[in-house]
Amino acid sequence: MITFTLNGGDIRLDTDPQTPLLWVLRDTLRLTGTKFGCGMGLCGACTVHLDGTAVRSCALPLAAVAGKAITTIEGLGGSHPLQQAWVAHNVPQCGYCQSGQIMSAAALLAVNPAPDEDSIREAMAGNLCRCGTYHKVQQAILSVAAVAHWEPTGESDS
Amino acid sequence: MNQTRRQFIRNVSLAGGALTLGFQLTGCSDKPLQLGNATDFRPNAFLRIDSDGIVTLQIPKAEMGQGVVTGMVTLVAEELEVDPATIRYEMAPAHSAFADPEMRLQITGGSASIRVYYELLRQVGAAARETLVAAAMLKTGLAREALHASDGSVFSTDGQIRLSYAELVPAARTLPVPADLALKPAAEFRLIGRYEQRVDAQSKSDGTAQFGIDVAPEGCLTAVLLRCPWFDGTVESFDAKEALAMPGVVAVFATEHGVAVVAEGYWIARQASAKVDVRFSQPAPGLRDSAAIASAMTAALDGDDFASVRDDSGPNAEAGELIQARYEVPFLAHAPMEPLNATCRLTPGGCEVWVGTQAPDVAQDTASRVLGVPREAVVIHNQFLGGGFGRRAAADNVAEVVAIARELERPVKLVWSREDDIRHDWYRPAMAGQIQARVGPDGAISHWRHRIVGPSINQQVIPVLAGAMLPQWVPGGARRLAGSAVARKDFASVEGAKELPYLFDGISVQYRNLPVPVPLGYWRSVGHSHTAFVVESFVDELAHAAGTCPLAFRRRYLPPDAPERRVLDAVAKAANWGNTAPGRFQGLAVHASFHSVVAEVVEVSLVDGKPRLEHVYCAVDCGQVINPDIVRDQMIGGIVFALSAALYGEITLKNGAVEQGNYHDYPVLRQNEVPPMTVVLVDSDAPPTGVGEPGTPPAAPALANALFAATGVRQRRLPLQLS
Repeated sequence: MITFTLNGGDIRLDTDPQTPLLWVLRDTLRLTGTKFGCGMGLCGACTVHLDGTAVRSCALPLAAVAGKAITTIEGLGGSHPLQQAWVAHNVPQCGYCQSGQIMSAAALLAVNPAPDEDSIREAMAGNLCRCGTYHKVQQAILSVAAVAHWEPTGESDS
Repeated sequence: MNQTRRQFIRNVSLAGGALTLGFQLTGCSDKPLQLGNATDFRPNAFLRIDSDGIVTLQIPKAEMGQGVVTGMVTLVAEELEVDPATIRYEMAPAHSAFADPEMRLQITGGSASIRVYYELLRQVGAAARETLVAAAMLKTGLAREALHASDGSVFSTDGQIRLSYAELVPAARTLPVPADLALKPAAEFRLIGRYEQRVDAQSKSDGTAQFGIDVAPEGCLTAVLLRCPWFDGTVESFDAKEALAMPGVVAVFATEHGVAVVAEGYWIARQASAKVDVRFSQPAPGLRDSAAIASAMTAALDGDDFASVRDDSGPNAEAGELIQARYEVPFLAHAPMEPLNATCRLTPGGCEVWVGTQAPDVAQDTASRVLGVPREAVVIHNQFLGGGFGRRAAADNVAEVVAIARELERPVKLVWSREDDIRHDWYRPAMAGQIQARVGPDGAISHWRHRIVGPSINQQVIPVLAGAMLPQWVPGGARRLAGSAVARKDFASVEGAKELPYLFDGISVQYRNLPVPVPLGYWRSVGHSHTAFVVESFVDELAHAAGTCPLAFRRRYLPPDAPERRVLDAVAKAANWGNTAPGRFQGLAVHASFHSVVAEVVEVSLVDGKPRLEHVYCAVDCGQVINPDIVRDQMIGGIVFALSAALYGEITLKNGAVEQGNYHDYPVLRQNEVPPMTVVLVDSDAPPTGVGEPGTPPAAPALANALFAATGVRQRRLPLQLS
């Protein structure tokens, strides 16, 4: 039995502890906002937060999250400042990578609330977008970075 | 409006109008559409307005990021006089009412969606509006002139009466729906060219947008397929004892596509598949290695048996210096972010399929053939596509999932791995080209001869599309013949080369089909993806050979009224062409595709002798712009897609199998590799033309030309080398 916190709620699972968190989220818990892209931690589509840090859930065994706090795109609530910025800037095209982009961006802002363009480019380099929304991702993050003080993975106070 | 479009609107009007009566008048074998409730106002197949005034639009095209939902909602909202954000949208089911009026298939491709629906969807909105206004005339006794529609209501001109669309729906349902209405002139547009929001941005930012891979009907199993590494192998034998003993594994069986491993979830299925021992039939002899294919193409370039696709006679005397060069491009994968998948549930006498597809009717036809049932027995639920780029016009994933579902009691979702995706794509073919031309003493160009060698995409794809286009009883042999008929002069191999816009003295373009045993398909911009690279690189070579600035050279040879001129001027201005900062080097290319024209300038610098991308400038003429922000994003996205291929993209074959497998050995551009970009939208009052693909073709030659400017080395093979 593995227990952890998911988006603020307690989870107890009897799943094979070697199962990557991605498939626990998608198949067992039916939280499908977190996406499968490569299965090798190469594309970032499966990015979630483990105790506030961005991790690739496709390469993270369930055993590694025991006793920890996981936040997924669903945990941001839909009107998180980054999500608002994503909508305001029309960031998504096909949209498939954007959950991962937003989770990486949120983790970046948690450690660096006012990143410049170069910091954003480096920090977001692990998140592929085949549609080429990279500039919009930058712009949206910059627009939020200008508004300080908000919780990285929970409700915003901005 | 031309006759075809007029007829089409009449048909869709009849299809919808007939619904309320329970008839079906499209003249096709399709079942009547069953969308919405009996109390809805349904002026045509595309639109319904329910008794609460909620407007729902059927989207006849696939949303794969190109913004087609937003574009179509905007067109309807413009004439219906509602806020686009209030329109709900659904992906249309496979039905003849939603077939592309030009292609006669319900396919999304050719950057055609907005171009072909520009008038039609405004007519759809106008017809609904006028019917609602007619309902208001009945209710108020006022004349048409005394009423106007705005913001989801009909108002009396004196402002005394306001009737919401919801209030008018019951009366509107009983009224005839007009057709062929006068549409708003451009000067009165309130949304077209102005509305800049994407209507799907929220759901794609909060994780709720549903892609094919997210679908899970009650009791759904997950399947993975163990595919033969080479393309023509079939399962000879397999041992699944160990896999079947694993908890959660439901079944392991052979299909014509490979060994299916079915389990309670993807991870279990994937783990179990590693325990299955499969033997596949040996590959047939033939062109099975990239090197062998390249040699065959080189030999073919030197040979005969070319089909002429253009032959403008020039002077007999071959004066001037002969310049010639050979170019090569590799096979490419699409690698959309969402791995292919499809979900199938058997129904009595048929099935339902959930899939993100660019071609619902091809998916329907494919599923019906696998099951041996009429097309009408297959229901396609189209989803958001996690990238398409042409890959999702094929229905191989649908054929596979139906063949698996046929053997099971429960619904099943087939999920491809990334490795499946890279190794079993329908690839952009490798191509080779040779161009020669003569440069006269005054720089005059003559005797342009362009030879193209490579496999015909349509030889493979047309038989598949024809399956959905022709009656179901037409045999496969006839469909294959249709493919062979177009292969000799395949437009998908020569488009963009055949239409060379320059007024050179004597132009010939020839093609030789060289079939290869590799699945081929449409890849963003199709033939233009390679012809633009070859033609615009060689034009740059000629400009340098003639000692002329590449911009001035193009301007000298373009016809006076060529649309290329406007975008060239616009991009030259944006890029400050001719006044490049010290240490910066620029390359230029212009290319027309999908009825649009795009010019791009790539600017590079040299850092420690190595070229670095600094900026990309782009100017596009795509006629009337619907959503400026989406057009800019499509140009940038098309450029990023092209630069990924130009810098990294290469699929290689060994013993008939693809050597790459994931994003580490088939890399695409990352956030930290993309230079800043500037996009200029050239004003136009012409009807809209394509934007999904036209940004892609000019990027590779503009980059190659910039690298030549920086290094003096002409690169004629993709991917380009930056070291």
